[in-house]
Amino acid sequence: MNAYAHLLDGLTLKRAALVTLLCVWASGITVWFFINTYFDLLVSALCVGYTCMVLFTVATNLRQARVPQWVLQVLGIVAGSFLGTVLAGVVKGRDLSMMFSERLFGVLVTMGLGIGFGCMVLWVYIFRERESRHAAQLANAEAMRHQLEKNVLEARLALMQAQVEPHFLFNTLANVQHLVETDPPAASQMLESLIQYLRAALPRMREDASTVGREAEMARAFLEIHRMRMGSRLDFEIDVPAGLADRPFPPMMLITLVENALKHGIDPCCEAGRITVRAREEGGKLRYGVADTGLGISTKKGTGVGLANIRERLKTLHGCNARLVLEENEPRGVVATIELEALAPQEAMAPRREARVA
Amino acid sequence: MNAVTAVIADDEPLLRAQLRSRLAKLWPELRVVHEMENGRDVEQVVAEHAPSLFFLDIHMPGVNGLEAARAVGKRAHVVFVTAYDQYAVEAFEQGAIDYVLKPFNEERLSTTVARLKERLSSGPPPPIEELVANLAARLGGKASDHLKWIKASVGQSVRLIPVEDILFFQSDEKYTRVVTAEGEVLIRKPIKELLDELDPEQFWQVHRATLVNVDAIASVRRGMKDQAEIGLKGSAETLVVSRNFTHLFKQM
Repeated sequence: MNAYAHLLDGLTLKRAALVTLLCVWASGITVWFFINTYFDLLVSALCVGYTCMVLFTVATNLRQARVPQWVLQVLGIVAGSFLGTVLAGVVKGRDLSMMFSERLFGVLVTMGLGIGFGCMVLWVYIFRERESRHAAQLANAEAMRHQLEKNVLEARLALMQAQVEPHFLFNTLANVQHLVETDPPAASQMLESLIQYLRAALPRMREDASTVGREAEMARAFLEIHRMRMGSRLDFEIDVPAGLADRPFPPMMLITLVENALKHGIDPCCEAGRITVRAREEGGKLRYGVADTGLGISTKKGTGVGLANIRERLKTLHGCNARLVLEENEPRGVVATIELEALAPQEAMAPRREARVA
Repeated sequence: MNAVTAVIADDEPLLRAQLRSRLAKLWPELRVVHEMENGRDVEQVVAEHAPSLFFLDIHMPGVNGLEAARAVGKRAHVVFVTAYDQYAVEAFEQGAIDYVLKPFNEERLSTTVARLKERLSSGPPPPIEELVANLAARLGGKASDHLKWIKASVGQSVRLIPVEDILFFQSDEKYTRVVTAEGEVLIRKPIKELLDELDPEQFWQVHRATLVNVDAIASVRRGMKDQAEIGLKGSAETLVVSRNFTHLFKQM
């Protein structure tokens, strides 16, 4: 029984009250055109009205895709008018066989009135439905816009916070401090890399755009520092073709991938490891990413804030045209690649120029 | 009195050397008998050298400083070394264990040395179990046991898909479909195994053959015969909730 309960969804007291009011009103109007008494008309109107209401509700709730819903609703009203008229006859104690012979005209008039008023109600109903659906769509679009704005703000905030990790900074300075006493040339080299990294990392919080080349330089400085700190455990390579260096690329994403490769790949694995930063253009896509030969991803370990943040920012900046792909490296480790629609440098930096004069 | 012996553990060789040279200056009688790259082999080191002191860097690959301290237990005094950890420092301030910050400050380190000398003469090391547990909790705690990534072969490579990107899993005869907003892949792991390994708060079974990501549910509609239908964010597909699982959505 429960399976069909939903067919009566929306059959509320409010709806019944509205139908009753409509019947009272309609009988009031039509009483001038007929010899029947107001009470007699009202009984017919209520019978037709309630029957139509029930069948209309069922027609509205039927789940199917073959016919438009309004066709079913009209059919519901026609059937309701017919059954309602018969019901009125029964209520008034009329002879049913007479209703379909001598009194057929009266029956048809009652049915017609039912259908007429019913369709009027249907028209109003559909109009209001459309209106409310429209309002819901508007609200939805508004909510999505808000969400997007929030994402942009959050991404910017995360970017500002993620600039320079204190751990990294203090550990590097401790190394420099020691090298100053024991190996001054190495100390100055490490300081130089640190300065280069900080110079690249710090102004980024105000910028929305960077280039493949600048991100590569920042990664190089960062990896250089780590190579000195970790001794023989780290080896790295930056493989960015000169032709791609000017391509626009969102800031601070590549460095997050490099940090992850170090933190989750090379660091926990006590042997030596290699990190490769690689940019390629293939089939209209710019692929820029980091490969490591470290521990690899444990399927039980969380993805961390870094990757979720990159995903969120890519979605905000590029919609569906960008993604972050993670793959296993051969024979071990992880390859994390950011894929963007390849744009020539001018296209992204400035609006396209007018056709050139020949 | 015997010479006091110490072990230094830090994954960065330069920082081990630095601590060693600083200690040599401030505490010439101290003998650093061993250096470690991480917290493994504490047992062996204790057995071999029986040091009275351990300087442990908190962040080390493999076995970190906290785990190493637990292994040391009451067999030696522990001093933690850290570059920057607001939470850790807060925890230390209340505890009986000393800590030093990198880069080393000579004054601070000499205070530590003075305190250590006093403690060494006054008795056995204090229990550290509680403090270490407290620290471990503050430093991010334990990872949960649930599956966070799905591995799937795509062409030649093995793609790693974070579970939060997955809208639903659906068994498809021999395989399991893994559907994301960007597309779908097939894996061999059956629904039943996934059900055991995924976070039950995040993925609900709504059908014998379907696990849905709760965060991906956009709408739930009642359907025919006690069933329900789930509409998804990021996919036009709808999922059937079979009768046995409609109770999950009953309050709606």
